[in-house]
Amino acid sequence: MLATRASTRNAQRLARSFATVVDSAGIKVAAVDANQPTSSVTFLVKAGSRFEPQAGVAHGLKNFAFKSTAKRSALGTIRESELYGGVLSASLSREYLALTADFLKGDEEYFVDVLSSFVTSGRFTRHEFEEYVLPVVESETHAGNSTPAVHALEHAHALAFRNGLGSSLFANEHPSFTAEDIKAFAKSAFTKGNIAVLGSGISQEALSKLVDQSLSKLSASASSTPAAASYFGGETRVQAHGPQTVFVGFGAVGKPSAELAALAAHISPTPSIQTVYLPYSDATLLGFLIQGQNGAAIKEAGKAAVSALKSAGNGLKGEDLKTAVAKAKFAAASATESREGLVSLLGAQVFSGSQATAEATLSAFDGVSESAFAKAASTLVKAKPTYVAVGDIASLPHADELGL
Amino acid sequence: MAPYGPLSFSLASKVLASKSLTKAFAPFAQWYTNLSGYRKFGLKYDDLLIEERDDVQRAISRLTPRETYDRNYRFKRASQASVLHAPLPKEQWTKPEEDVRYLAPHVVEVAKEDTERQMWDTVDVRRK
Repeated sequence: MLATRASTRNAQRLARSFATVVDSAGIKVAAVDANQPTSSVTFLVKAGSRFEPQAGVAHGLKNFAFKSTAKRSALGTIRESELYGGVLSASLSREYLALTADFLKGDEEYFVDVLSSFVTSGRFTRHEFEEYVLPVVESETHAGNSTPAVHALEHAHALAFRNGLGSSLFANEHPSFTAEDIKAFAKSAFTKGNIAVLGSGISQEALSKLVDQSLSKLSASASSTPAAASYFGGETRVQAHGPQTVFVGFGAVGKPSAELAALAAHISPTPSIQTVYLPYSDATLLGFLIQGQNGAAIKEAGKAAVSALKSAGNGLKGEDLKTAVAKAKFAAASATESREGLVSLLGAQVFSGSQATAEATLSAFDGVSESAFAKAASTLVKAKPTYVAVGDIASLPHADELGL
Repeated sequence: MAPYGPLSFSLASKVLASKSLTKAFAPFAQWYTNLSGYRKFGLKYDDLLIEERDDVQRAISRLTPRETYDRNYRFKRASQASVLHAPLPKEQWTKPEEDVRYLAPHVVEVAKEDTERQMWDTVDVRRK
């Protein structure tokens, strides 16, 4: 009896192990319920920095999240959420703005209402912008600029993609945009086609019903399409304090492929070298970040890493490829277990219109062959490299000194 | 509105709501406004709000840069006129249509926020 019960439970879990995307009042809704004690709902909006009309506006909009709306004041939103014991957070990537509420099961009605009232009726007042938003924007920018790894990646994106994907996640230290600019950007971004509602620990029906009620009034314009990314590459050197940092990377245009994920998995990280694999909807940035105390150490580590990447660019044989593919597959599979990973995986699939399944994500890795890998890797490393040095630029190596 | 705040107890909204009451009170109100004399010094009514208070200071910080500049300019001009012991030349007097409540809406907003904060600080939660 025990055995049969165990097997039926497994069957149930398998059946709802991944989200199905449904259209609810024109908004895509996907939910996964794995019987966690807490639920989380994310409104994923196509309002990342690549969509912003003016530098930094997306960063401003992110920090405007959960401020006053027609329904509640900023203080009321926070105090009431505290009474429910929920956590509200907003995060910004180059493609998406994610507004997330994590809460105990059963409180979904309130938290979906908090999220949707910001989306439908945010007030974007000038005084909130000046009193709450601007100081946070400025300090986040300052923190980002004084963290060499973050700073290097910002420069790398600007070099690799220039506009669109190249635009920074952070505003200037002294932003020139106003609350009105943010309001206009929000108005263009918060439309039915641009929002996907992703839930975890909540049933699909319950979430669709709530979304139906709260977002049906949202304007139904088509989803925004960004200007297609193109890869440029280049070299830049920035004087800064902190650990010496060098970013070496290559970009590829087109949908992120399993071959490139395998290549990223093949570059094994060492204490001083961190692999960077950033897949976007129509481009990929792949490389590594080298950090160290002085330029000589970085030069040595960088040379080794570059030659490893170049030799992988000639293709991988037999066991090496299988290991790399297995590593990449594990990374992709384990990412679906965390909430952030689930959101980024589901988000990409929901907006591309395909059914979001874990199997589809993982099965792509089974098709990686030696020839396909060699082709993807060699075109990648033949492109012009993106090279960023942040730190003491007198001692940091130049790109050609690493063999690029 | 608190009875002793910067915007103290007022029946103006009630009076303005009725046409006949407005008609009856308007001449008296205009006479009183002119008598108080602030317009002769180029000021607006909201320049006279008691500003030595946290809430009004916050409201003042919410004015647009242009409004803040104009307000400071009026104060300078009025204090110079006061030093000279004479009202401004007549063409610089504040015209009735210029005498708008530019600060009061911000003060009301700030007061509302303070009331709400106090409500949340002392809220009595009853869970169903």
